[in-house]
Amino acid sequence: MDDPVIAEGLTKTFKVPVREAGLRESVKSLFRRQFRYVEAVKEVGFRIPAGEIVGFLGPNGAGKTTTIKMLTGLLHPTSGDARVLGYQPWKRDKDLLRRIALVMGQRNNLQWDLPAADSFLLNKAIYGVPDGVFRERLDDYVDRLEVGALLDKPVRNLSLGERMKMEIIAAMLHGPEVVFLDEPTIGLDVTMQRRLRQFVLDQNKEEGVTVLLTSHYMADVSALAERVIVINQGSLLYDGALTGLSNRFSSHKTIRVEASDLPADLDGLGRVVDRNSAQATLEVERDRVSEVASKLLSAATVTDLSIEDPPLEEVIDRVFSGR
Amino acid sequence: MTTENQFSLVRYYAAGARTGFQRDLQYRMATFMVLVGFLIEPVVYLSVWSAVARAQGGMVGGFDEGQLAAYYVVWTLVRVYNTAFDPKAWEWRIRQGRINTFLSQPVHMFHRDFSFFMGSKIAWTILWIPIAVVLTLVFRPSIEWHVVNVAAFAIAIWGGYAVRFLVLYVMGMINFWTTRGAAMFGIVSALELIFSGRLVPLQLLPDWAESISTWLPFRWTFQFPIEVLIGRLDATQIAAGIGYQAAWAAGLGLLFTVVWRRAIRRYEAVGN
Amino acid sequence: MSRPIGPGRLAYLHIRLGVQQELQYRANFWVQVVNSAIALGVGIVAIAVVYLHTDSLAGWSPDELVTVLGVHLMVGGFLRAFVFPNMYKLMSDVEEGTLDYTLTRPADSQLLVSVREVELWSLIDVVSGAGVLVWAVSRLGDQVGVIHYLAFLVALICGSVILYCLWIVAATLAFKVVRVDNVMQMLSGIYDAGRWPVGVYPFWLRGGLTYLVPLAFAITVPAETISGRIDWPWLLVAVGFTVVAFVVARLVWLWGIRNYSGASA
Repeated sequence: MDDPVIAEGLTKTFKVPVREAGLRESVKSLFRRQFRYVEAVKEVGFRIPAGEIVGFLGPNGAGKTTTIKMLTGLLHPTSGDARVLGYQPWKRDKDLLRRIALVMGQRNNLQWDLPAADSFLLNKAIYGVPDGVFRERLDDYVDRLEVGALLDKPVRNLSLGERMKMEIIAAMLHGPEVVFLDEPTIGLDVTMQRRLRQFVLDQNKEEGVTVLLTSHYMADVSALAERVIVINQGSLLYDGALTGLSNRFSSHKTIRVEASDLPADLDGLGRVVDRNSAQATLEVERDRVSEVASKLLSAATVTDLSIEDPPLEEVIDRVFSGR
Repeated sequence: MTTENQFSLVRYYAAGARTGFQRDLQYRMATFMVLVGFLIEPVVYLSVWSAVARAQGGMVGGFDEGQLAAYYVVWTLVRVYNTAFDPKAWEWRIRQGRINTFLSQPVHMFHRDFSFFMGSKIAWTILWIPIAVVLTLVFRPSIEWHVVNVAAFAIAIWGGYAVRFLVLYVMGMINFWTTRGAAMFGIVSALELIFSGRLVPLQLLPDWAESISTWLPFRWTFQFPIEVLIGRLDATQIAAGIGYQAAWAAGLGLLFTVVWRRAIRRYEAVGN
Repeated sequence: MSRPIGPGRLAYLHIRLGVQQELQYRANFWVQVVNSAIALGVGIVAIAVVYLHTDSLAGWSPDELVTVLGVHLMVGGFLRAFVFPNMYKLMSDVEEGTLDYTLTRPADSQLLVSVREVELWSLIDVVSGAGVLVWAVSRLGDQVGVIHYLAFLVALICGSVILYCLWIVAATLAFKVVRVDNVMQMLSGIYDAGRWPVGVYPFWLRGGLTYLVPLAFAITVPAETISGRIDWPWLLVAVGFTVVAFVVARLVWLWGIRNYSGASA
């Protein structure tokens, strides 16, 4: 079986009117509008095998949502091709739509004025889920997300986190094979984020659901995905293991050392991030790590020494600030 | 994994209608207030035309006071059945991104909206009954009841709904091209007000205006169902009216599928 | 110490700010021109159709009835420009609890909540209403004299003040019942009944439109006046009613904010 999500050279160019400030310019633009072209996504290609969770990273405006919209058939690419479960998504074949799900955080997709249970029933009809399967899944999900007591409350009375749980349930009831999650945990507190993460992970492990996930929170990505795709300014920067990200993008490692007789002058070894009498943290260039470590070991009575990759957030930050 | 899913449009309509029904019944106070708001318009028209009829010795354009009252009381129910998805709401739906969810679902949102409003009409009809009783006691309408008329009315009122729903839905498509459709919607509603029989029974307009109304959809959504129930039409006229409704529904349905395809193509190109 | 600002200057400053803001949205100008033309067109059509079938409606000739349409548009434009936007803002402020900022300002609270917002383009309705009025009055000819113009001015001001009072009372209910937008919506629906002289309505409705939602004073009396048929006793009643309405609105407002502070404390 072919991979459920395939993107090849996906490109999307938007034509946007140029707006100039000032009265004269705005009057002029009434008659002749000027446009410029913005390449939101440039030649992006990747494959996601069945049953994998992939984290999709990039700063705001990098093209994440545009890519997801192309993969769910909401946008027609300017060029390039994509296949989801073997279909070109923008043809919006009903069979494809029945087998995928799209969840966008910050968007309310449930009937605002009615209890979530009613929206679930509507989705049951939309996707034609048989009674037995529906019951079984609903009970299971409600149990796992602990929302049993909230089912009969109108959605407008739910908290943001409770609502997001309901959104996820609504998106999963028809047993989608591929799920696109766009910022599913945005604005939620830490406990709620963890709960949702666990649910997605379980769905993936137990049902083999393929997931493409974008998030601002590194914790989301590192908890769920072993593989990440990074895009910035529309172009693919990295596609590979999460653990490889820092190898690729960070030229430094962090050395933490504990010793009772640390030399006073550490500046020659690396950038001193933090130090006190018995402990120091150094940022050292990747290819000097072993040299610095052995110098430290010989210069002082070291009680502890660790070499770490910098925190993911920092790496990502560095990637996006266009070092 | 999910090949067992079985979609059925009938079951979907039932679910959609149920949602609309529940929503409006849950907010019955708000719904009721809107209904009461609907009353101001016909009561004003009825008062004006009754005054005219009285000044003319009891009759105006073939309507006596009781028949005018019947016209405007049934008016209130037909007005309920004429509500549909507002063209202006498309702008909100596009801007808020709700349309993305609907597009990513395997059922056309036409069915979603159409079934939703069907359900909501049933809720409204229930709430309308007490209002109708009060109106009947106050204005003493005279209606000739015939089983055939009541049966035909049950068809005509839904036919009117279908046609008006389609008119508004097609107009709503304009929002895919511009956010400045408001002026056009205003002009169309003004035309509708005059040529549907909502402002005044079309027989009271000059002849040329009345014959224009035959060629617009509005008459068939509004005045036609009213006249069916109050017994002003014979069997041939009723059959012809339902024929007009069917023709408009078919034509507008066709127009909609064409415009929809273009609108979505544009949306896919531009996004939001 | 800073000198307290006079109410006139305060209102002027606020309204100027609102106008500046509205000028940012010039596209709305055209939308409003079209809407105003539509309202005018439909109004004229309705009157024309009525007089196809009769010569006199409740004692009003066609030209006299057009003055009702003109006054209805003018007063409606005034309400939409100055009253509705402020009342909706007041309601949403109460709902979201942001009214406190306004109440802590060192100026009269009722004045402040009444001048914060302006919907400039609605004044187009005032202009088109005035245009219709001028046209109708010119056709009435000798029937209308200087005394009528003066009396009309008084009647028009009284009518606008009465309606402002009605709306602020309705909005003040928001302190108690919170969701009153349905009531507001219904009131603006009822306002449409003023397009016809209250004389055409059955007597029970006429009573309601005189004392409850006083469209009789706000529209019918000014229109009667400008079409040269001053009903002096009614004009006097209108002035008296205005004073009463203003006092009642003031008392209701004071009661409202007392209640409001009580609730949020």
